[in-house]
Amino acid sequence: MSEIINGFFNALQLLISLDPEVVTITLRTLEISLSSTLFGTLISIPLGGIIYFKTFKGKRVLINVIQTLYSLPTVLVGLLVFLLLSNEGPLGSLELLFTPGGMIIGQTILILPIVTGFTIIALSGVKDEIRDLAFSLGSSEFQTLRAIMREAKYALLGAVILGFGRAISEVGVAMMIGGNIRGFTRVITTTMALETSKGNVELSISLGMILLMIALAISVILNLIQEKK
Amino acid sequence: MSLLEIKDLNKCFGKNKVLEDINLSIGRGSTLGIIGPTGCGKTTLLRIIDLLDNPSSGKILFNGVDITSGKDAMNYRRKMAMVFQKPIVFRGSVFDNIHYGLKVRGVDKESSTDKILKLLDSLNLSGYEDRDASTLSGGETQRIAMARALITEPDILLLDEPTANLDPSSTEQIEAIIEDLNKTKDLTTIIATHNLIQGQRLSDEIALLNHKIYQMGKPEEIFRKPRNKFVADFIGMKNVIKGEVIEHTPENLSIINLSGTNIYSASSLDGDVFVTIRPEDITVSHEKIEISALNELYGTVREIKVREIKETINLVQIVVEIHNSGLMFTVYLTRKSVIDLNITIGTSIFLQFKATAVHVFKSS
Repeated sequence: MSEIINGFFNALQLLISLDPEVVTITLRTLEISLSSTLFGTLISIPLGGIIYFKTFKGKRVLINVIQTLYSLPTVLVGLLVFLLLSNEGPLGSLELLFTPGGMIIGQTILILPIVTGFTIIALSGVKDEIRDLAFSLGSSEFQTLRAIMREAKYALLGAVILGFGRAISEVGVAMMIGGNIRGFTRVITTTMALETSKGNVELSISLGMILLMIALAISVILNLIQEKK
Repeated sequence: MSLLEIKDLNKCFGKNKVLEDINLSIGRGSTLGIIGPTGCGKTTLLRIIDLLDNPSSGKILFNGVDITSGKDAMNYRRKMAMVFQKPIVFRGSVFDNIHYGLKVRGVDKESSTDKILKLLDSLNLSGYEDRDASTLSGGETQRIAMARALITEPDILLLDEPTANLDPSSTEQIEAIIEDLNKTKDLTTIIATHNLIQGQRLSDEIALLNHKIYQMGKPEEIFRKPRNKFVADFIGMKNVIKGEVIEHTPENLSIINLSGTNIYSASSLDGDVFVTIRPEDITVSHEKIEISALNELYGTVREIKVREIKETINLVQIVVEIHNSGLMFTVYLTRKSVIDLNITIGTSIFLQFKATAVHVFKSS
């Protein structure tokens, strides 16, 4: 018990003193997760928009598949991207394995289903009348889609934040694609996994607290958005 | 040439036929009222005209060009504007809402400010431009919807029950706006409404719709001469009675049997028909009299009711049961006549009306 309490106080000290290792790992984590959220958003929102807007055969099935992939195991994505990026793989020549770039690709793939799925849900929440209204006022299909997205902007932001939450908290892709190389691909979750297994709980606890603070920030932002709505 | 023409248009939702054989033609600058009960297909028809829905068959011609396929739909929609039944706004300010139609046409905010403010002013909405559109009342929202539609200067304005969800004072304001618009030479308006009085007051021509068009024409013509039972019932015609033409006389009259009571009419129709006689075209007397009216029926007064018409003339509505056939006829008399003739419930009287006052039509 005393070990945990000591660990907690040492962790606080690491945080307050802005320990260089803690800062580096945190910044690297934010860099990778924010990048994958950005790329994921750039792909998912237009993709979700097209799926919502277009009528095609198998649309219902596609949406079901996307929803199933919400719980895509991170290690499975890790394995897939590993196979793609390894020397033998089709993208081996890019030399992205064990780099932040490779991790961003992995996390982007990981969050695509959840952001796409929640984009579709967000757009479905907009009344059909808005679509008719935009069309009747002379919008093109693209302009109408934009009008609908504007109506759903807070729900869309929620989808993006959800994607970010999934990216920053996952460990499978970060470990398998990043390789947990100190000062290069080491992020909060991989550090915690490694350091805890080594018995170095202070660093793990301080990083865990940072993750919790980020989660808290996400929750606050989401609540603010809800209130604004 | 008509600005808008609809030819043999049908629309089915599954097995449900919502519109059947619709044929319409509207000239530039005129106002057409599409009047019918709730669920008669008015909204569907307007949506098809605005290319928001496809017809199952038939054609829509805009300025003689067939636009039914939906190819180039955006450009034709840009020549029209629609105000929907349910008041709805985009997220944002009133200004942004009205600017929307211009924005999608590539006109920026700065160059449309004057136009928008002027329009708001003309609709009694000065000072509303910066208000959050979602906080407005139903009536205000509907006036914003009118502004949003008008700002693009459409050739055709489609109004789908624009006052159905509004209180009486908001309804009056919207009607006043429409009346003003009717004076605009180039604007063609199609207004769908279930409200007969509103429809006929705001329109040059009306079409009575109940999945198909039962009659189209000038309001006064339809009120005088309903062409079928649906129209007669819908416009509240009294004395609509089913009958059968049993004989044509050499004088070009026909004798119609109404459940055992025969009457003369000037119609040339045959077979099963409906007749209607306007209550004000019937005169009454205590004695059988020799006058030019060919029809004379004898009956007993069963009901007397004072009707207020335009608050000035007091008319009395009496219902007379015809002896032998049991038919009920409604007759309007002035209060003076009722007093002079000493008519009370149970009084037996003669009803007279001309053969030409008998309007005859087929059942559908």
